[in-house]
Amino acid sequence: MAPEHTELLRESVADFVSRRMSITRVRALRGTGHEYDRDVWREMASLGWLGIVIPEEHGGMGLGLIDAAIVAEGLARSLAPEPFTAAAVLAAEALTLCDNEALKRELLPAFVAGEHVCALAWQESPGATDAGHIATRAMPFEGGYRLSGMKRYVAGAAGADGYVIVARADTAVVLACVDSNAAGLTVDLEAVADGRQFGTLHLDDVIVPRERVAASGDTAAAALSRALDRATAVASAELYGVMSRALEMSVEYMKTRVQFGRPIGSFQALQHRAVDLYIQQQLASAVLDQSLRELDTEPSATQRAIIASRVKARCSEAGVRIAREAIQMHGAIGFTDDYDVGLYLKRALVLAAWLGNAVRHRRRYATLALKREG
Amino acid sequence: MATLDATDYNALTNDEFRREVRSFFESRYPEALRYLPRRVRIREIRDWWNTLYEKGWIAPNWPREWGGMGLDAGKMVIFLEEMERHGVARAADQGITQVGPILMRYGTGAQKEYYLPRTRSGEIIWCQGYSEPNAGSDLASLQTSAVLDGDHFIVNGQKIWTTLAHDSTHIYLLVRTDREAKKQKGISFLLVDLTTPGITIRPIRNIAGHEEFCHVFFDNVRVSKDALVGKLNEGWTVAKALLGFERLNIGSPRRPQYALMRLEMLGRAKGLFDDAGFVDRFTQIKLDLEDLASLYARYVEQVKRGEPLGHDVSSLKIWAMEAWQRLTDLLVETGAEDGVIEGAQEIAGVEIDFLTPFYYARPATIYGGSSEIQRNILSKYVLDLPSQ
Repeated sequence: MAPEHTELLRESVADFVSRRMSITRVRALRGTGHEYDRDVWREMASLGWLGIVIPEEHGGMGLGLIDAAIVAEGLARSLAPEPFTAAAVLAAEALTLCDNEALKRELLPAFVAGEHVCALAWQESPGATDAGHIATRAMPFEGGYRLSGMKRYVAGAAGADGYVIVARADTAVVLACVDSNAAGLTVDLEAVADGRQFGTLHLDDVIVPRERVAASGDTAAAALSRALDRATAVASAELYGVMSRALEMSVEYMKTRVQFGRPIGSFQALQHRAVDLYIQQQLASAVLDQSLRELDTEPSATQRAIIASRVKARCSEAGVRIAREAIQMHGAIGFTDDYDVGLYLKRALVLAAWLGNAVRHRRRYATLALKREG
Repeated sequence: MATLDATDYNALTNDEFRREVRSFFESRYPEALRYLPRRVRIREIRDWWNTLYEKGWIAPNWPREWGGMGLDAGKMVIFLEEMERHGVARAADQGITQVGPILMRYGTGAQKEYYLPRTRSGEIIWCQGYSEPNAGSDLASLQTSAVLDGDHFIVNGQKIWTTLAHDSTHIYLLVRTDREAKKQKGISFLLVDLTTPGITIRPIRNIAGHEEFCHVFFDNVRVSKDALVGKLNEGWTVAKALLGFERLNIGSPRRPQYALMRLEMLGRAKGLFDDAGFVDRFTQIKLDLEDLASLYARYVEQVKRGEPLGHDVSSLKIWAMEAWQRLTDLLVETGAEDGVIEGAQEIAGVEIDFLTPFYYARPATIYGGSSEIQRNILSKYVLDLPSQ
């Protein structure tokens, strides 16, 4: 029972994907330093998608996660390398809840227009599901802060125009906006499985003037944890797009591949495996729909984290399992670089690990949900 | 136009209706019968049957002209949810859920007049005679025969896994009436009084030690022609007409959630939540059930909108039953040596029965279409894979 605008959005995404996305393009962009196509990014901006969660007062569409998830799922189905979730959801959500209004008036419209691609540098150690202990220091001085430390696993770092950097001033969380060419900032890119990169940011006394501090203290911490939970749900929608396409490819292949004189899809052993993957996809779909609806009602911080962990745990596990088994269903051809199904496995692997894998999210769920009920 | 009165439950808001049902169950349902881990026997549940009957609530799914509550799909789901929430046992209710709706659709005027009021009052208790020793998953290969002899059918053969036949007064049967026709084509649907000469009922003890199901033998049993429901040789169609709530209800997360609650209480009592290995496994199963609840809720919404359920609902049954089994596996494992001691025990102040839930989770992937049959259905009708 989707409202009319979500149906229109779905059609618009499908149309864009069929016109602009292709596996050939995905393959051509694999391993390049720029990672994605800035023209495609600007086209996404012209469709309004880069401002989908940004409030209207800053030039965005002011829509909810349900809408962001439609775009993310559609793009992921086609393996688009554009960092929609990293930039247009994670970084945008974080900045939106900050309280430096002048900075928001400057940056958010540039996010929406696709002119300033921004990544959120929040993480420092692997397996994190929230900022936790932050080692990166923000040393106060008269005009602002000097940042020193290292941020890791930054998605969307390749070709980013700027970063929102999470640092710590004494006990307070600081969200600071830093341009990619800032003095003292170096960015190393590490290739990940799906042809994209994670950035490692080395901050050596990077000066952040007061007017570039987006928020600090409780406001910054709240903006960060909300953005992480919401982006985690949208990344789950990406996983859903990837697993759905991988399952379709497997089922299609089972209908056409003939061995022993019959389509292999007529063999019960394979049919039942395919059904088990279908059940995982159905569970992921049901949890995702419910989670997105609930997150759009702005539940309490604890409830929000529980929902985000539940959906990411299921989608990560289902996504990787479906894509992994897709290789087996395809046989040797599935192991070749030329055949597309392997690209789906690689994307599923990266999305499952990014923002916390299934094991990490189940642990966070246990900590929050079991403590609450006990 | 129906007038708005206290018994037009569909006129209540969902919340009003839920409150009324909940308060009735809480005040009237016997405490000792809540969350029974096994099937309830008729002698235990007769008082509750009478309570529901007197309230006019014994047949929530039946139309009001036949003494039912006439609930619409949305209210029906609420009624079932509240039953499960309070742990209300489903009394030998196949007459209410199956025979009633079948007779209303296919029965003659005389059959409806005779059977419906008696089924509602509990004077007649029905059991289902479908499975046979050589017709389980392949039900359509059933061989129990009914041969016309004047005004009677002569029934010969054997039914098995007939749940609570020894508590029942009547059986509804699938029998072969045409040996020449292909499988499903030669089957008819009969209603038979279990006191008819030639019928022998022999209970079968299940692995939980309970006499839950039975053999039912038919030796030249004479059954009046009037016992035929629907047309001769069209019994398969009659039996298959029952879909909807049965398929939804079997995938409900409530029963496993109750077992999960016991496991959680035990885990807390034994301090197991400090054990990372236990927490990981517990959380995985808890999430399997949470996610089941999301999938179930999606199908409930579909039913509430009045849309028929498709073959895809089989995924709900598979997941619900297999998750329930994994949960009871963990329950027994958590009990360690205590886990294999029979009956209810007190462990660190928590009363718990490890084995009964474990046993009763076993046939869950066998009855109502085994998990393998459900996978065949999904493969054929949903994934559209070629036939085997």
